Amino acid sequence: MSKDLFALLLRLYPSSFREEYGDEYLRLLRDRARDETGIWRSVRLGFDLVVDLIISLPREYRLAKAVPKRSTAVPSGVPMFFSIDDASPGRGSLLFGAVVSLITLMSFPTLANHFGNLEPPHGWSEVQAGRYEEGGSDRRASSSGLQQATATAKPATAPEADNTKTQAGDPALDSATRHRIVTNLIASLKQHYDDPAVAERAAAKLLSHEQKGDYNGVASAADFAQRLTSDLWQATDDNDLEMVFTRRTIPDRPRNPIPPPPPAYAAEMQRLNCTFEKVELLPHNIGYVKLNSFPHPSVCQKAATEALAKVNNADTLIFDLRDNRGGFPDMVKLIASYLFDHPEYLYSPIDNTTKDSWTNSPVVGSNLMHKPVFVLTSSHTISAAEEFTFNLKMLKRATIIGETTAGGAHAASLHPIGDNLYLGTVDVRPINPYSKHDWNQIGIDPDVKVSAAEALNKAVELAERNKNK
Amino acid sequence: MAKQKLSPLPAAAFQILLALVGEDLHGYAIMRAVAEQTGGRMRLGPGTLYGSVRVLLEEKLIEEVEGPKESKTERRRYYRLSPAGRKLVRAEAERLADLLRVARTKKVLRGDYV
Repeated sequence: MSKDLFALLLRLYPSSFREEYGDEYLRLLRDRARDETGIWRSVRLGFDLVVDLIISLPREYRLAKAVPKRSTAVPSGVPMFFSIDDASPGRGSLLFGAVVSLITLMSFPTLANHFGNLEPPHGWSEVQAGRYEEGGSDRRASSSGLQQATATAKPATAPEADNTKTQAGDPALDSATRHRIVTNLIASLKQHYDDPAVAERAAAKLLSHEQKGDYNGVASAADFAQRLTSDLWQATDDNDLEMVFTRRTIPDRPRNPIPPPPPAYAAEMQRLNCTFEKVELLPHNIGYVKLNSFPHPSVCQKAATEALAKVNNADTLIFDLRDNRGGFPDMVKLIASYLFDHPEYLYSPIDNTTKDSWTNSPVVGSNLMHKPVFVLTSSHTISAAEEFTFNLKMLKRATIIGETTAGGAHAASLHPIGDNLYLGTVDVRPINPYSKHDWNQIGIDPDVKVSAAEALNKAVELAERNKNK
Repeated sequence: MAKQKLSPLPAAAFQILLALVGEDLHGYAIMRAVAEQTGGRMRLGPGTLYGSVRVLLEEKLIEEVEGPKESKTERRRYYRLSPAGRKLVRAEAERLADLLRVARTKKVLRGDYV
């Protein structure tokens, strides 16, 4: 009989027995197996062992249960736990515990819905947040300390408002308040909406809803904002209109132009080399520009022209926008100007102005007008970086390599109408010369889809292949 | 205490105590002694043997002692009968002797049994 079998037999016994007599048990088996050889004796030994198991196993388990395990020597300095109660909990207790846990778990969603009002208002679902992605991106950018200026330049936006809403709680409404809100909303709409006729139509619709008593059941400002948003959408067929509830005070910003960046921005840009992280010539004369934002030209024009001068004689140009979190359309225009031999219209829904949006091409001295251009994107590429990417793609001026971009286009303004409510409008609707929807919410699909990490290698590979042709 | 676990005294426990009357023995030696004194009828398996040894130790009927240093690598545990154990063996033997006397008077046994 093998040692393994003996060890297996030993494992059948309770741990207290194994600890105390495990070695002895095995030694006795070995001794007997050594002494009792021959077929007859071996069979007898096997029989003995079976009988031994039948007799001793139940007894050992009975004793192990009845006799509290002797506390083995506690190694000094080692924390140990001993269970005082030796018996396991009864079946009834276990069942009771299971039922209580289940009920508690199941009641969480109900309680949270009831008291926490955690459900986002219907107007600010995931998809809608994309509409104001500007805000989301700016929040991310400013947290990295990179684009303070852009953050201040853009209006306060939905995702933040939504956050504060859920935290702030929600005042109750009476009919007088509701009337005041509707009146103020209509006034604001007429003042700010770009199509007066549509504003009139929406106003009439809202009034008729109110007169019919459609709003009587709405008790909270957040719910009311949600309800008004959906009514506005129905009346105007414009999903860019929003009603926002937030406790935070958001100043009514004057319309444009984008204010000049603060001095701190200039200092930060100086420190970051205007976010031109890398400007270099790769092997095979490939110009590589890694740009992490589109900084304001008032601060960074020199840096940008220097960067482009450095790669001016490259045969191929790669713009790495994988970590680019956006910035100023003016810089998009400045850089794009180098890439054309005649002025091109740049579609720029980010810019809050209606000023002309043509490149200043041709740029004197630029050798890049006819060189192949690759743009590297990631799922974080957003805003002004998307504007750059979108226009070069639409103009068939660049090959886009990487991931679908984040999808943030429109700038929005929030106009206060009192009672912590704001009317959100898209101020400017620039002409989109492409019959295609712009990148808002959906992002820009690359021409060559690879993971962001592989994008550079892919671009270099394609550039070299181009050259060899 | 002894009454709870060892009353009546199991046959194996009695045989082990009996085996330890003359000398201190280790586990395997106990097993062989028991087999010998029962004419090979009782061959203790390790589970039964050490289960019984443990109970006897707990009841202080036997005690563990240092055995002779026979080997450096293998150190066997030896067991010795305690005074209480000796008393119990005698009591049990007397009980069996009484039993035997009754059986003899009733002519249950034939032949020249003591």
